[in-house]
Amino acid sequence: MSKSITVNGVKYPIDVPEDMPLLWFLRERLEFTGTKFGCGKGLCGACTVHVDGNATRSCVMPISAMAGREITTIEGLSENADHPLQKAWLEVGVPQCGYCQAGQIMNAAGLLNNNSSPSSEEIEAAMQGNICRCGTYQRIKKAVAMAADELAKEVS
Amino acid sequence: MRPEIESLIKEERNKHTASAASNENKTDITALTRRSFLKVSALATGGMCLGVTLPAAKSHGKTAAADFSPNAFIYLESNGNLMVKSGRCEMGQGISTALPSVVVDEMEANWDYVRVEQAEGDIDKYGSQATGGSASIRTQYIPMRKAGAAAKEMLIAAAAKVWPADPKDCYAENHFVIHKPTGKKLGYGELASIAATMPVPEEPTLKSSKDFKYIGSYLPRHDVGMVIQGKRTYGVDTIVPGMQYAAIVHCPVLDGKLKSLDKSEAMKVEGVTAVVEVDRMKVPFGSLGGVAVVANNSWSAQQGVDKLKIEWDRGANGSYDTDSYMQMLVDNVTQPAEKMAERGNVEGAFNKAAKTLSAVYTQGHLVHSPMEPNASVVHVQDDRCDVWASTQSPDDIQSVLSQFLGIDKKNVHVNVMIAGGGFGRKFKCDYVQEAAAISKAVGTPIKLIWTREEDTRTGYYHSNSAQRVEASLDEDGNVTGWLHRIAFPSINTLFTPGIERAPANAVADLESHPFGISNYRSESGKAPAHTRIGWYRAVYAIFYGFSHGVFADELAEQAGVDTVTMLNRIYDNNENKAQAEQVARSKAVLELAAKKSGFGKPLPKGEGLGIAVHYSFQTYVAMAVHVRMKGDDFEVVRVDSAVDCGQVLNKDGATAQQEGAVAMGISLSKYCEIKFKDGAVVTSNFHDYPVMRITDMPEVHVHFVESDASPTGLGEPGMAPFAPALSNALYQASGKRHRSLPIKA
Repeated sequence: MSKSITVNGVKYPIDVPEDMPLLWFLRERLEFTGTKFGCGKGLCGACTVHVDGNATRSCVMPISAMAGREITTIEGLSENADHPLQKAWLEVGVPQCGYCQAGQIMNAAGLLNNNSSPSSEEIEAAMQGNICRCGTYQRIKKAVAMAADELAKEVS
Repeated sequence: MRPEIESLIKEERNKHTASAASNENKTDITALTRRSFLKVSALATGGMCLGVTLPAAKSHGKTAAADFSPNAFIYLESNGNLMVKSGRCEMGQGISTALPSVVVDEMEANWDYVRVEQAEGDIDKYGSQATGGSASIRTQYIPMRKAGAAAKEMLIAAAAKVWPADPKDCYAENHFVIHKPTGKKLGYGELASIAATMPVPEEPTLKSSKDFKYIGSYLPRHDVGMVIQGKRTYGVDTIVPGMQYAAIVHCPVLDGKLKSLDKSEAMKVEGVTAVVEVDRMKVPFGSLGGVAVVANNSWSAQQGVDKLKIEWDRGANGSYDTDSYMQMLVDNVTQPAEKMAERGNVEGAFNKAAKTLSAVYTQGHLVHSPMEPNASVVHVQDDRCDVWASTQSPDDIQSVLSQFLGIDKKNVHVNVMIAGGGFGRKFKCDYVQEAAAISKAVGTPIKLIWTREEDTRTGYYHSNSAQRVEASLDEDGNVTGWLHRIAFPSINTLFTPGIERAPANAVADLESHPFGISNYRSESGKAPAHTRIGWYRAVYAIFYGFSHGVFADELAEQAGVDTVTMLNRIYDNNENKAQAEQVARSKAVLELAAKKSGFGKPLPKGEGLGIAVHYSFQTYVAMAVHVRMKGDDFEVVRVDSAVDCGQVLNKDGATAQQEGAVAMGISLSKYCEIKFKDGAVVTSNFHDYPVMRITDMPEVHVHFVESDASPTGLGEPGMAPFAPALSNALYQASGKRHRSLPIKA
């Protein structure tokens, strides 16, 4: 019986060395290249995906620990790029080079899954693991707050 | 590889790449010649393609082929879709939105129908694509406007022919040509094929700046939609059939050598197929030399590298130690050094002075650390080489690979991918040359991805530097003399190894500084390079901005006035008429930053508001930085950045560049320093080479001077005034003067 993993709603067998981090399985085996390699040590957040809805650094997560888990990558965050965070990112015009942004969005989505109305301090605390060298932080803060407001409207 | 997973992956990938694939240009474009100013041709699928060739330099007054620099390609399809190729490299600075928007504005086209594509590396078609020095907008603005204007005139001519009507009675608006007397309209798509047969205007009429629709507006980047879905593909994301993956470890010391290699354990790693020695290539952007491991995935390749047993012969640079080297730099600026430039009589001014003041400023090495580490895919075949790379300079890739492979430049095909950050690092194509070396050795396409550790340890470093500034003040507190002595290993050592001190071209920015002190001398102290030195976003302006900005604050204190008063006094005393414009524009941004920040207002204890101004890359930026002490640490609360870059092309992108400059300014002011010991870098990743994070980000307010002067670039100039303004703020907040970067609070 081979082990399997669900990525963006589709089940795949795990057929790579078991110590391979999830990042490389996603990028090179499944060719979901939206998830990025930045540091390989869980220090920069560029590789952030959701494991069962929680933001996780895929570059330090061995694939063997992922059997039976549900993974969501940036490609699977929404059907039509209409997640409140994606809409806010577009509205605010967050990205510069854009390389870290999938990780930023997935990390923020993880935050909003657990706390739908974060304070600005909570946003900063949750996002401090994600580095952006272009310096889009001011816009990230604004976009996350905007998405949280949007979610609050959807709920009420 | 089991068939079921292959088809599953393929199906999923097709879903996700469908929109990207439809964006590919499928039109067959007739090759354009370089003879005329603008060249038009019909698209095979109907429509028009306009290639623009404009004189690169007007000064020669000739029209020889060498004077022509093709700058833009505009593809208008019969369905109205408009594709503009962006010849300059995109790395997040927004050039692939800014320049195409200029074309579209002049063309009176609708941005909603526009698609931007990154041009392949082709110096004959696009002119130099080497993207650096904040030069793209400065050099391409007028050619792009002319291209758009020419296309518009041809579309009007086409409509006039169809109706028929007098072209003078027709005008273009929002993707249509309109016949004024009757109100008849024809869409750009309908007109494209006919426009392609119209004569190309040699001197198209440009719009008045008051009629600009996109230029000067807040235009979203053309690719944000792709980015938020993870569909924007960078060099590191390239996938080609038959590709293998590689990782590399370099000799940690410049010009060291491989002494011994045991690859047996590496070869045992599952997936590893080969170990390849990559030789040092002694050209400016060639490999440092190292050992690569090839595998069927990147993880195995990286594991393989970790299992290599290597001994290096560290060679002549094996004793490089940045702590003792910095002491040497400081020593070399505290004693007379080689004269670089002089005007007036510095000693005379110093002898007559009421007061003199001197200070020494230092900064350590920096590494660029773009979020996307160096990566490229290269496939070397007998007489050709295909490259997919995040790069700032396809020109250099072609030139280095043609030398390395012994093939013609034309046979090095460079697909320019958006870079996940560049900051000067991706100007240098050592990582591409290495991928070529590996591909040549194993015979398959190779994707080489550097680890963050290699990116940190074996980069091209921003010079570490020491500067000593000495100035004299007269009794009225006017600066009368200025002696500026510098010592730093220079970028020139990449091109001329063995240069012992920074040469005149690296010191020229001091001489042309708009302070323009009448009695002035610059001197360059000994500073041989023991590592690779390279351009880092804003280059010399980082440390020259720091010394000028902090020293102005120190002079103000000596003269008993505030910093803005002191700076204005220095500018007003500049007697060099040729610098009148620089003086006026520097003063204007200074005043704007002071006003917007409330400079001079009383602040609570433990807070400070510092200000600095710097002119670099032909752009003027003043920054006011507000800090608050938090025990021994500090936080930057707010930054007001005042900018004069002439006509702003895209306010959104221009604002983003200032926000980014503040962020990078905080990183280098507070955290970043590369240290060497025994010839090698001692740090490796973001845990021991930290950069600023979201918790450090202040409010940034950007203020543009309204101007229709020729536009200049913004990728770098915002970097210069931040660190000195911060240092000045900290002095006010804590009473402690910081003259070294990074600042240890």
